[in-house]
Amino acid sequence: MKKTGWFCTYTPVELIHAANVIPYGIRSDSKAEHEDVLLGDSMCSYVRSCMGGALTNVYDDLSGVVIAHSCECMRRLSDGWKFRQNQIKPKLIHILDIPKVVSESSIKFFASSLKRLKNDLEKEYGPISDESIRSSIEKYKITRTLFKEIDDLRKNENTSITGIEIEELVNDYFAIPVEVFNEKLKKFIDSKKDSDSPDSRPRVMIAGGPGNKSLIKTIEESGGLCVAENMCTGLRAFAGTYGEEKDPFDLLARLYLDKTPCPRMLGEKSREKTQELPQLINDYKVDGIIYFSMKFCANMQMDWALLKNHTNLDIPMKVIEGDISSEINEREVYSFIKRLKKRKKKNES
Amino acid sequence: MSHKNIVKENTEARIIQLKNFLKANGLGDIKPEDAVKMAFMSDYETLSPSAKRGYVNAKQFFNAYNMNISGEFEYHHVAWRSLFVPTEIMYAMNLIPYTTEMVASQLAMSGSSSERIETAEASNFSGDLCSFMKTVAGGVIENIFPTPDILLTSTHICDPSAKYAEIASHIYNRPEFVLDIPYGIYDLYMNRKTRDDEERIDEAVEYVTQQFYEMIEFVREKTGLELDEEKLKQICIWTNEARKWLDEGNNIILYERTSSKKGIKELDYAANLMQTWGTEEIVDVYKSRYEDYKKNQHEKREITQPRIAWFHLRPYFKNQLMSYLDEKIEISGSQVNFVFFDELDPDDPVRSIARRTVLHPGYSSVMARTSIAIEKIPEDTSGIIAYYPKSCRHFHGGAIMENEMFKTAGIPILTIDGDCVDDRGDDFPIVKTRVDRFLKAISK
Repeated sequence: MKKTGWFCTYTPVELIHAANVIPYGIRSDSKAEHEDVLLGDSMCSYVRSCMGGALTNVYDDLSGVVIAHSCECMRRLSDGWKFRQNQIKPKLIHILDIPKVVSESSIKFFASSLKRLKNDLEKEYGPISDESIRSSIEKYKITRTLFKEIDDLRKNENTSITGIEIEELVNDYFAIPVEVFNEKLKKFIDSKKDSDSPDSRPRVMIAGGPGNKSLIKTIEESGGLCVAENMCTGLRAFAGTYGEEKDPFDLLARLYLDKTPCPRMLGEKSREKTQELPQLINDYKVDGIIYFSMKFCANMQMDWALLKNHTNLDIPMKVIEGDISSEINEREVYSFIKRLKKRKKKNES
Repeated sequence: MSHKNIVKENTEARIIQLKNFLKANGLGDIKPEDAVKMAFMSDYETLSPSAKRGYVNAKQFFNAYNMNISGEFEYHHVAWRSLFVPTEIMYAMNLIPYTTEMVASQLAMSGSSSERIETAEASNFSGDLCSFMKTVAGGVIENIFPTPDILLTSTHICDPSAKYAEIASHIYNRPEFVLDIPYGIYDLYMNRKTRDDEERIDEAVEYVTQQFYEMIEFVREKTGLELDEEKLKQICIWTNEARKWLDEGNNIILYERTSSKKGIKELDYAANLMQTWGTEEIVDVYKSRYEDYKKNQHEKREITQPRIAWFHLRPYFKNQLMSYLDEKIEISGSQVNFVFFDELDPDDPVRSIARRTVLHPGYSSVMARTSIAIEKIPEDTSGIIAYYPKSCRHFHGGAIMENEMFKTAGIPILTIDGDCVDDRGDDFPIVKTRVDRFLKAISK
């Protein structure tokens, strides 16, 4: 079965799936970010990893890519991909512009962008009926529902679900067919439903953008428990509320634009993110936040400054600034977890 | 908060903020009204075109602190503006644009940007963020900028600018409107083939037109200011006149010759970034520039200095590079002064402003914007110098592709990785070596 790559969780993968193609989420695992000699060193490490991967044939098994114009670095990735098109195997390249504000007009405009995406997919993979889009929407709706169930289990104080287990699931979501993934989620839920046991570890929320693969492991090896990942490779990949729209493009446009926002979003939607944070902290019983701010991502860096300087939260927060695949400073994480433990103990007594 | 209360708060705050601004610039002993008078000592009519530009900017700058050019109080409604939000509608609603990136460059000129950057970096703003916005963030923390009545920002070209405006809106507790500008429409426009492409362009223009109307309503609701439609027509006419004079001036320096001393002042017009589009004064500025070039126009003669097209901006802090280049090269054109847009339609002003915004070539692929340059640069151009701040993902991030394209087209290019407002990494001897090597290479 053919695969089409996608980069950003604002990409409605349902449309790719409806083309009878596996949507393949491109992560930061190309191991080739230093091979990118095209975009320069002021690009974020995720984009450098993707460009490096493209230039070193990592994505040769893909038949196309949908590059979301989600930020200025992704903009340059789309340039680089087109610029070196003759050296990169995936044939289809579609640049999908994603609005940064949420309004009725931006949803309408985005829906129209999605129709153009469908047209491009059809040129490569053949006709896509509204029926097949609706069927894909239903399948991904199951994914979202199941993930919501897992999230609810994680809100429990004595949850047995670890951040590492969730990270593995998210990795699967990016790579395998949704039908197989849904079965996996069901089994996972069954295995976790009645397995709660007392747990005194400090509960950590990770915020930011695409995560660093060593981060969750380092947090949990340092004695913390990750209970929520407010990032593209976590909560935000499965967030969203289904509306009543009959037209599948309108439905997808609203579902994706109006979901839990990424730091790229602006206006009221962005403010929502800060306003919702206390509720999330309360729901997941979070003891501390680690914000992973990717170097050279202006949106995350600004987001952190807003959070740290102007958001009054009653729990400790720490920023870790780094590359997407760089090593995490274990001592830094360890001392933060130690602080959370002391604080938790003090609060409990 | 009611707008009446906003005006009251702003009136009090701006008095303190102007004092703070002067103090940050080493002018703490000077009374604000005296500082204003000092800035406008020369008669406008006697000024050079470039100085006229500075005069207009300075006037608007002090207006934003509620000072007229005589140093007397006069309340002005101020709209914090990110760099690419069109200004015509603001003027037609009696709003003064306050462009923070321009103020950052002004702080760099007076040698006081680095301190602001250090303030920001000490307050959780990352070291690799855009240095313009770090200067602004530091300035806001130090309370040296006038509290706006409203913030009007847009999503195109630059991420940090719009993102920082969100923080500023939070700090000042003032309403913000964000214009969402679709990406890729200019590329589509350049390569349009089908009816579907044409429809998409129209759809994008319509999307932005509607947002402008929403913005007008937002401003009215939050400030009580109304859009003066007759004034907007007149403003469009002024923009068209200014555009004409800018273009004619550009044609002289690009395709003819003038002995008029331009130097780096030519770069400072930065026409595409200016907040003065839509004012009567900017017509005079560009007309004076044209007349100055025309008066000193002469036949093409043997070139003694290489003719260099300049890309992007320059270092605004005190530096040796630009004065060195002033001796060594003739700047034949500046990318930021390129007239990219069609005339506005005074009978359909909002839509034509939307069309100009959507079809901004700066908000396109590197390939599209480089192709325009290859087409527009005259054959007798010796080469290009591109000065890109490393913290600018949009321009710096495309430099390698741009270089390849220019080299393929046979146009030598030197890209200088620098900074416009942060002088902490400035290393003239290293840059000079690269410049000298480049100039030597093109002389062959």
